[in-house]
Amino acid sequence: MSTPTSVPWGDWLTQLLATDAPALPTAVAMQIGLHLGWSVVLAWLGVAAAVRWWPGQRSRSQRLWGVALLMALWAWAPGTYSPAYWLGLAFQTPSTVTVWLCAGLLWERLAPPATAPSSLSVAVADRRVLALATLGVLTGWALLLDTFAWLPVQWYAWGFSPAASGLVLLVALLPWVLGRSLARSGRFSWWAVPVALLVWVVWRLPSGNVWDAVLDPLLWLVLHGLVIRRAFRFMRG
Amino acid sequence: MPAGMAAAHASTLLPLPASHAAALMVFWFSGDRESGPNVQIAASQYDRATRQWSAARFVVNRFAMGGQLGYGVRRLGNPVAWMDGHGRIHLFVVATGGGGWAASRVLHLRQSSAANSLQELAFEPVRALPLSWLWNTSFLVRNAPLALADGGMVLPVHFELGIKYPTALRFDSEGNFKGMVRVSQRPYMLQPALVMQSPTQWLAVMRDERPKGKIGVAHTVDGGQHWNDLPDLALDNPDAAVAGLGLGPGQMLLAHNSSIASRGTLDLSRSTDGRNWARVQTLEHGAPDDEFSYPAMLWLDGSLWISYTVDRHRIAWARLQPGATPAGAKP
Repeated sequence: MSTPTSVPWGDWLTQLLATDAPALPTAVAMQIGLHLGWSVVLAWLGVAAAVRWWPGQRSRSQRLWGVALLMALWAWAPGTYSPAYWLGLAFQTPSTVTVWLCAGLLWERLAPPATAPSSLSVAVADRRVLALATLGVLTGWALLLDTFAWLPVQWYAWGFSPAASGLVLLVALLPWVLGRSLARSGRFSWWAVPVALLVWVVWRLPSGNVWDAVLDPLLWLVLHGLVIRRAFRFMRG
Repeated sequence: MPAGMAAAHASTLLPLPASHAAALMVFWFSGDRESGPNVQIAASQYDRATRQWSAARFVVNRFAMGGQLGYGVRRLGNPVAWMDGHGRIHLFVVATGGGGWAASRVLHLRQSSAANSLQELAFEPVRALPLSWLWNTSFLVRNAPLALADGGMVLPVHFELGIKYPTALRFDSEGNFKGMVRVSQRPYMLQPALVMQSPTQWLAVMRDERPKGKIGVAHTVDGGQHWNDLPDLALDNPDAAVAGLGLGPGQMLLAHNSSIASRGTLDLSRSTDGRNWARVQTLEHGAPDDEFSYPAMLWLDGSLWISYTVDRHRIAWARLQPGATPAGAKP
């Protein structure tokens, strides 16, 4: 029999862990999220490709801006003319963390800081960001195993609960909790998860499930590469 | 059949309000061939006065849906219909992404037209239901939802990338998605059909993808919060979809292919406990190469309505009244 004080606590806990009241994004928000997300990702891919394969452009930021703008606008083309139409068919909407990281990398490429060159690998060199990336890898494995029903709990479904977003927020604050100063280059990466959570709370993007907001399979693959490379460097001393 | 279409499959039945000129609607997918690029969702209505099915028309087109979603839909498949508390029709349609059926998503559509007469009926996409982290693949829908007392419903779906497992999705009376619960731990069960035994006790009868399989069963006693696998039914099943219907306490019906290796026989069986089933009648019996498959059932106006696929070319139907000779035709 419940005591008078245990009932509210039990109710509160039930609400916190509940997965049966998901709020999903509106159709308009999803359309905007899809095109905005892919426009940022494409802009970064375009600029990264231009820098790599277009000799002499590294210092011509105006042309890089042009490439970024062109790629970003292309994603907003109508219907089948938009790459977002085809990318969405295969991959849906990129996670907000992916979009934020691409935006950060794009910005650092277009307006490079005076210090070190920008790249995710530089950011991951910071142990705290590396810890986040490792957590991303592990979370992705949990989500993949859950997709194939190889876990006793429904990890993806739990992403509709308020408790999951609280857990993600705690993890997102790790860099601030664990250290006072962080490397300047790649600083945007510290904000990736908090920003994704904010967007998820306000607009429920991209799908209403918090795991889709912080991690997508493509980002998960990239994180594997970064973490493994860092691990090899660590082992070599 | 819409004119010029050679293939038809996976029908689903929807009862209409008593005030409607039509008693029920049937939806199915049709095109040149299954998984063809021109497959669309077709519909027809059964007129109360004339007792005839209307000429079929397409109500969902993948290009139109893709345009409204903002991203492409590669192919359309099984539709499932439901009417919400406002009388709006919702369609849940299998829509593939970058691949075959294993790359499917469940596309949730809602009636956008003011009226739901067949000529006016139109749909708009709500969303692809978020069911999987892996680019939201690979969930499919097949069987009718289980209506709940609060006006909501539970929609059975299944995952089928490599392995198969069934899942139940909950919706409120407005058609808002309210969560998902895995139904079975067995990695070869698909296309669950939900049968209500009481408000809190339900069965999920499932297609078994294994050769020489039986019909699988899972059980919940808490209104779908938790599910437990039960031993298979004694009924043979040739890896084919089944349809279940709960008419009341101790009154359950099952439409199923009843031979191990062929979809050439379609039976209707009855049970009082969900474990022991007795054949009521054989709905179709053909040669081993014939196919009478993917049944859908509905109880309406004191009759049992059944629709099913014939040889993947057309949709047949039957209306069975207790103690009467079945009426039916093949539109």
